Formats: sequence, structure tokens, C-alpha cells
Amino acid sequence: MQADAQSLAAEPVDARTQETLHRTARPYMHPYLAGFGLGLVLLAAFVIMGRGLGASGAFSSLVAVGADAIAPAHARANAFYAEYLGDGTVNPLMDWLVFEVLGVFVGGFLSGVLAGRVRTGVERGPLISKGMRLFYAFVGGGLMGIGAKLARGCTSGQALTGGAMLNVGSWAFMMCVFAGAYATAYFIRRQWQ
Amino acid sequence: MKRIFENLRPTHKAGVLVGILGFIATFAGSPYQGSQFTIDAQELARVVEATTDHVNPEELADWIIQGKTDFRLIDLRTAQEYGEYHIPGAENTGLTALPDAGLQKTEKIVLYSEGGIHSAQAWFLLKAKGYLAVYMLFGGLGGWKDEVLFPALADNPTPAQTVRFGRMKEVSKFFGGAPRTGASGPAQTPSYTLPKVEIPQSVEASSARAPKKKKEGC
Amino acid sequence: MNAPFYKFGLFGDNVSLIVAFFIGIGFGFFLERAGFGSARKLTAQFYFTDLTVFKVMFTAIITAMLGLFYLSWMGLVDLSLVYLTPTYLLPQVAGGIILGVGFVVGGYCPGTSCVAVSTGKLDGVVYLLGVIAGIVVFGELFPLLGDFYTATPMGQITLPKLLNVPYGLVVFLVSLLAVGGFAGATWVEKKMASRKGEQPL
Repeated sequence: MQADAQSLAAEPVDARTQETLHRTARPYMHPYLAGFGLGLVLLAAFVIMGRGLGASGAFSSLVAVGADAIAPAHARANAFYAEYLGDGTVNPLMDWLVFEVLGVFVGGFLSGVLAGRVRTGVERGPLISKGMRLFYAFVGGGLMGIGAKLARGCTSGQALTGGAMLNVGSWAFMMCVFAGAYATAYFIRRQWQ
Repeated sequence: MKRIFENLRPTHKAGVLVGILGFIATFAGSPYQGSQFTIDAQELARVVEATTDHVNPEELADWIIQGKTDFRLIDLRTAQEYGEYHIPGAENTGLTALPDAGLQKTEKIVLYSEGGIHSAQAWFLLKAKGYLAVYMLFGGLGGWKDEVLFPALADNPTPAQTVRFGRMKEVSKFFGGAPRTGASGPAQTPSYTLPKVEIPQSVEASSARAPKKKKEGC
Repeated sequence: MNAPFYKFGLFGDNVSLIVAFFIGIGFGFFLERAGFGSARKLTAQFYFTDLTVFKVMFTAIITAMLGLFYLSWMGLVDLSLVYLTPTYLLPQVAGGIILGVGFVVGGYCPGTSCVAVSTGKLDGVVYLLGVIAGIVVFGELFPLLGDFYTATPMGQITLPKLLNVPYGLVVFLVSLLAVGGFAGATWVEKKMASRKGEQPL
């Protein structure tokens, strides 16, 4: 009974039907179970590597390498990029987070395939066009990139890792993420509802 | 009570378990117990006797010349003394600032002071905190001057000593020093001026180089 | 037991990269299991209809927190060797707010967007491009940031140290917070569902 959600999203559907479709088409793992599994992965990182998880750092390395390829002098003079480029003895892409993020792609794909959830498309609410949604995705991503670098991490690194380690900055960060998100949710509810 | 627990849904059981674990944690004490390093006096004494806690000035000179970056060199003297002269690549950290100096417990650390007293004290301090690879420069800065900067040949040198002196002559030039010459040899207290801090440029520059690649964090 | 293994030299940098890959697989796997490859599920959190984000996040936090606490209490893990990101309060608060806005606007966070990409979502791809663009903007403007980036440094500090209470006490309070939060979340979800049901078609 796999509903073709993509074609249905093209026309406005009432809220209750949308929710029913949502439920039957995707049987997710119980949140506590998934959270427990995630927690064990994080714990494994602590015990094996003495560090936590992360995501944004990998993209910083990517950007730094790109900057170095396009304008090496500028990149090395910039304190931010230089931090990810290092002193040249190690390839910046041979980085723990880069490999970890590659694993995230693979793991997500694996789980999606096993659950029949791999499908091309654009996730959006029924009241918004694909174009607008992609625009918002780009802008949101941009904000995320800036916010993550300011805060030295994103939800994976700061909230999960720092949260488990009772890091002061991470908890402050986490609360601000929720605050900022809830505050903005009302204003762009058209995108999702 | 047990029956109530058994009749709870699995998620509620998990919640109760979490609550209990958290409650016990309150009274469990510090989780840093795993990192308390018990000072095994015998072990430390053995290390001292075997002089595996030392690094010779010659060795250090070699490392610096080869441009090795796998160790941290700490100068324990005052900022003024450091400013006058320091071994190239050394960082200036006083004894009290040592625990906060951002030293990793698993990285190689070489300590030196004027002679050997402060570096020995710092060595104990770091070993007690569980630092795994701490070494003292044998003879301190005095030893560095005597062996590396201004090496001298003994009065009746063995062949091995002559060979060594030949090598140290080149090494001393690298660091801006000069081998001691003169009939009286090492017995004479040389009057020399310490080489300027800026030498050798390549080594100094490489230690103030681009930051090491960010390894931790997100 | 000498853990963290890497910090005790059990294996080198190259093996650590392989470890990273497998840990990443686990990470991505459970993210997708929870449904976080879907922006709608993620953002439903902020409309109170589906609080999975909160449940998963906090279950993960207390699992890892309790695990880390007890393992290090038993001396099996050296907690002081586990990397604690230094705290810079002001930039982290600012970054958090910006990130929160970006979360709802974009619909993902960097980790979940990777999962979205690998399950075929185009908006995930565009989102990642946005993240890269954002980092470029940040990098270019970095010199202008000046001291703000390192403002209010507090060093490596944990909540127990800040509040000057036993570590275990904070563990307990966080556990209570989480469990209480779960109960509250379930209640909220039920309320929202019943309210939706009452709406006329």
C-alpha cells in the first residue's frame, strides 16, 4: 500500500489524510529504540576514539580544501581555513570527520534501502511549491553553516556529544537551537503545514 | 511493587531504569576515577634509575635539525630568560601554568630549565597527573650549552669522542654556536655570547608554523 | 582497560579513519531508522505534532551520558582523555539561535541532511550546498569577526564543575529531565492528535 506521496504532494490534501498517508507509508523505528542505538554509537565513539560525533567539521574541511585549490595564498592567510588545512604534513581530507560523514551517507542509504524508504523527491508541505522549498533549503543550509561554525559544531557534535558530556557551552547551544527554531517555526509554517 | 513494575509498558520500564541509574549516579562519586594516576613510587624510581626519563641534548639537537614535530619542548624559566635565549622551538610555560598549558597526556613532552631542578619537579608534577611521555633534558640548558652550542673535545680523546666532536662541531654551527677551541679545552670556562634567539630561521619558523591541523572537535 | 583506545595508542591515525567510517555508518543508520531523512518529520517537532526529534536526541544523550559515566566510574574509561569542546558562551549562543532558525527554514541539520541525500531527497542536496555556501561566507567574513569568535571563553568546563555540584547529581537531574520530557512529549503529541481529529474536514 505504498502511496505515491510525490504525486499527492502536488495537490493540496487535507491535513488528516496527509497524516494517515504519512503513517502508513513509513513505519519508522520506535524513537526510544533509535535513540538508544544512536546513544550506543556515540558511546562507542567515546570509548574507542575519545571523541564524539560530528558533521559540520567535515564540510569545513571540504571548503578549506576548495579554497586552497582556488586561491592558496588567500586560504592559508585566513585563520579559519588554515585551521582545517594544517601545516601541510597531512592531507586535510584525511580527516576523522570526513570519513565519519562518508559513513553517515552509507549508513543512511543502508537503512533506507532496508526499509524501502529510498525515493527521489522534494520534501515539503502541501502548500508550497518545489522551487520555494528548494530556496528555503538553500537559505536554511546557509544559516546552518554560519551558525555551526560560530558555535563550533552542529546538533550532532555539540548537542549530542556535548550534551552527553555535560559540556556547558553545548547545553547552552542546545537550548538556543530549540529557542531559535520554535521562534521561527510560526513564521514559516506555510512551508511545512 | 514487583507486580506493578512487571505490568508497566517497556518504555516505562526503561524510564524507571534510567531513573534508578541516575539516582545511583548521584552518590557514586567522581567519574574521573579512571584517570587518577596512582604514583607508584617504585615504578618511578626505576624509571629514574634507568634514565629513561631523560633526553640527551645531542638527541634533542638531532630531532630539531631533522625537523621532527612529534614532541613539545617546554622551557620552564622566566619570560625574560626565555627572551634572552631559548632552544629553538621551545614554548615558555612556568611550573604553575603547566597543567593548563594544553598538553595532551599522550604526546611527547620534553622539559628543560637552567639546570635540572625545575625540570625534575615539573616531571613529577606531570607524571602524577598521568602524562604518559614526559622527559627531562639531561643537564638542562647548561647541558645544552656544553654539548650542543659550545662542544669541546676532551684532553685525551678516544677515537669515538673525536668522531662525536666532529659531528657536534657541525651541529653547534647549525644552532649559531661555536665549538670551543684552545689548549685548555673544556676545563677553561669559555667567555661567549649566547646566540641570538632568531636562529635558525627555518626551525623557528616551522615551530611558529601554520597551526597543526584541527584534529578534535566538530 | 585502557580506553579511549585511540588515546592510548592502541591504533594509529589511519586505522582511526576506518573506525570513523564505521561509526559514521552506525550514526547514519540510526538517524534514518528514526526517520530523520525526512525534513517534514524533523520540523514537525517545532509544530508540536511529532516530537521524535526530542525523544531520539535525549534518549541518545542519556544513553551515552550514563554509559560514559559508569564506564569511567568503574575505571574502564579515562574520562579526562575524552575531548571536551571548549566553551565560548556568546558565539555559541548566537550560533545556536542562528542554527535553530536554519533548522526550521532548511528542514535539516548537517548530519540528517546527509541521510536525506543518500535516500534521494533533492532538498537535502540543495541544503548541503547551502551549508557549504554558509561556511564559505563564514570563512570569508572570519577576519571581520575578530574577537567575537573567541568572546567569553570559559575553557573546557562541564555543568557539574560550573555549578559546583557532584557530577553524578547532574547526571541524575538530566535523566529526570529527559524522562519527564518524554512523558510530557507523549502527552503533547496526544493532545495535538486529538485536536486535529476534532477539526472539521
